Amino acid sequence: MNIPQTLILGLVLGGVYALMASGVTLLFGVMRIVNLAHGVFMLLAAYGAFFLFTEWGFDPFLSLIVTMPSMFIFGMVIHRFLFPRLEGSDRYSEMTVLLTFGLALVLEGLLGFFFTGIFRSTSPAYATESILLGDLFIPKGQLYGAVASVVLLLALGALLGYTKIGHAIQATSQNRTAAQTVGVNVSRVSTFAFGVGMALAGAAGSLMSYLFTFFPGQHWQWIAILLSLIVLGGMGSIRGAIVGALLLAVLAGFVSNAFGATWSPMTFYLALFVILLIRPEGLFGEKEAV
Amino acid sequence: MLLELDNVSAGYGGGPDIVDELSLEVEEGRTYCMIGPNGAGKSTVLKLIGGILAPRSGSIGFHGHEVGGLRPDQLLQRGICLVPQDPSLFTKMSVRKNLMMGAYLESDRSVARDRLDEIFSMFPILADKERQPAGTLSGGQQQILLLARALMIRPAFMMIDEPSLGLAPQAADQVFEIIAELKSLGITLLLVEQSVERGLAVSDWAFVLDLGQKRFEGPSDQILADPRIRELYMGKAPTVE
Amino acid sequence: MVDTHQDPLLATQPPAQPSSNGRRSRVVCSIGLTGLLLLLPLSRPIVGGLYNYVMQVATIALMWVALATSWNLIGGYAGYISLGNNVFFGIGGYLAGALLVYQGWSPFVTALLAGLVGFLVGLMVGLITLRTRGPAFIIATIALLLMAALIFDNWELVGGANGLSLPLPQFPRDWARAPFYLAMLIAAAGSVVLSWKVAHSKLGLGLRALAQDEVKAEVLGIDTKRYKIIAFALSGIFPAVVGAIWGYSLTYLRPSIFFTIGIAAQMVLMAIIGGRATVAGPAVGAILLVTLNEASVSQFGSSELNIVVTGGILIVVLLFFPLGIVGSLRQRGKLPAFLDWD
Repeated sequence: MNIPQTLILGLVLGGVYALMASGVTLLFGVMRIVNLAHGVFMLLAAYGAFFLFTEWGFDPFLSLIVTMPSMFIFGMVIHRFLFPRLEGSDRYSEMTVLLTFGLALVLEGLLGFFFTGIFRSTSPAYATESILLGDLFIPKGQLYGAVASVVLLLALGALLGYTKIGHAIQATSQNRTAAQTVGVNVSRVSTFAFGVGMALAGAAGSLMSYLFTFFPGQHWQWIAILLSLIVLGGMGSIRGAIVGALLLAVLAGFVSNAFGATWSPMTFYLALFVILLIRPEGLFGEKEAV
Repeated sequence: MLLELDNVSAGYGGGPDIVDELSLEVEEGRTYCMIGPNGAGKSTVLKLIGGILAPRSGSIGFHGHEVGGLRPDQLLQRGICLVPQDPSLFTKMSVRKNLMMGAYLESDRSVARDRLDEIFSMFPILADKERQPAGTLSGGQQQILLLARALMIRPAFMMIDEPSLGLAPQAADQVFEIIAELKSLGITLLLVEQSVERGLAVSDWAFVLDLGQKRFEGPSDQILADPRIRELYMGKAPTVE
Repeated sequence: MVDTHQDPLLATQPPAQPSSNGRRSRVVCSIGLTGLLLLLPLSRPIVGGLYNYVMQVATIALMWVALATSWNLIGGYAGYISLGNNVFFGIGGYLAGALLVYQGWSPFVTALLAGLVGFLVGLMVGLITLRTRGPAFIIATIALLLMAALIFDNWELVGGANGLSLPLPQFPRDWARAPFYLAMLIAAAGSVVLSWKVAHSKLGLGLRALAQDEVKAEVLGIDTKRYKIIAFALSGIFPAVVGAIWGYSLTYLRPSIFFTIGIAAQMVLMAIIGGRATVAGPAVGAILLVTLNEASVSQFGSSELNIVVTGGILIVVLLFFPLGIVGSLRQRGKLPAFLDWD
């Protein structure tokens, strides 16, 4: 096994996973919602990119211009219409999980209806080309994907750290009541954050369209992987999600090499159980207060 | 009259009324203190006025306008500020950032920055710890930060829920010094305070709540001296705190 | 005056038992229902040509009653949503199937073993995943399901993705369905009795409290970890049992029969529509959905429209009828006594 090669491949793929994970983490941090529909939103964008590619020859990176804004708006609309009803309810987190679960089922079914169960993927030229760097092959598609992810993550960081709404999102994430008392309109901020999380999912979807083949039921595997990353990183910590993504993607790469690609998702699932066993609060999380 | 509660009732979730047809009046510029046993509904009253909880019946008027059921950010714009019981800080943010969050509604950032300088000169202890995460401050310092943060927006009316809760006596003293300073700035204050002596010492007028209703009210020194109230709500003998 | 909003136990006290009239009608209805169910296999003279179909639907309905009622133990009473309870279902099916193929043991017997294994697996998984308060559990159950699917898809001993063929049961043709039906009936009854026992025990009270507010429950001294883990372990028993029976009745095992999200979704939906955290609710939901499924002539499985409808109904119920049928009826005081077992 070529260790540096596997390492590089893992890191590059990990970049994309990090992008995916950041969206779900953002949502969880701000609204304490475990968004089981995040995978299907990415899938939605992937199918969108596929459609744009096959009908109009849009390069997947070009499709970002379409998928990101439309997912942003779609996300805000969904949040505004579905979640307020649950706001005051007793078992808020349960209800929101179930709601996103239902949403995931509906969207999966609709995607299956319109696109059928055939495995799809976009196939731009760079999806199959590689760059030679010394002794190492770096697949172009994955490299571009990683670069795009880095750019988007930096943009996210800038949004959260340097804009007023970003501060409001951070505040709501850390202490919802406190945010209210300093004048943050937490429901409007939550809706916006949901939109941002969805936009990130949209971006990830566009990238996934050429990185993987997908079918309507694919999102469960994605969401299980993503959620495992988040638990590993420490729920709500974007930094943790990124580190977790890179770590596990590299590990999965080695597993794939050693045991075959079928088993690579297993890495994430086992990692989840291991983390729950030895450090349930995740790498960057805080121990639960009593 | 600044604030008026008129026959307000409220509770949590589907539960019973915690506040039961309560009426009270608050005049501008004075300092009020609410005392009473646990579960009397004191914190609930603050949450009601502060917009965290909506009233089930009755009305809340501020400067004559109905404000019951408004959101906290809307109330803040009108000048009503709630400083809830801890934890209410952004523990991972620095002291500076916490304070700047206090000025969230201030659209002119230079005004916010000026206020920040004012606050730092008023509270040198905070200036010292400017860049530290708020979670690393001591209990007393956190409470000071909390009050300072509320000041960033120059509220007309401030409600403070249990300012000295969990604080050592010295820290509690410091907090009450600040409350006295807030008084001198002309801010109308409504405190809920567990430590009855301190609360009544710093306030002009007191409300005694029990079972969600107002049982007594009057000038703080009278309430403090009243033997009936003492016996019912403060334990038999006056204690030195 | 007690601040009931601060006392989760009092706030979630189950409502008083029905009146003596109500109780009598409950007993009558229960006896009547039991009688009917027991006599169904003898109904051939009445239903004639539809006999096999009726038996099959009834068997499936009873199976789902067991699945949904068991799910309710962790998802309803404890408020911890599990999207992987069908892992127990599959483990039971494969365990009994493998023992049948390799040892010749009848799944009707090994179903009991399957139940025990289900309990133990639930215990083990619970010990790992229920140590935190938050959503890590839900995530873990999804991962568990996908792990199981992956493992069984690639496990040559049990046929991998192609599955395992089971020997045909040697029952006289006319009575081929009856044993499966009766076995499912026993399992369904068992799951409902278990649910009832849990609801009326200290465990049940504790679970209700922690579902309402886990932190407060802990502060009150309730050992939430233990209760959660026990609830989850208990929720694994009957799915494994019915899995064993179901696999046998299908005469083949394939991962896609047991380890799909669609099945998990059905369990959740049935419990929620019927009324989660109630004894009768999941059973009501199960019977309702199986009937509806049949009425719309779609397969027990996942076609795209099926999933859309499942998800859609779930969303609608959550937003507008979160208490489900039993819960909503009770809230309006219109719950018939024979459904009121809480």
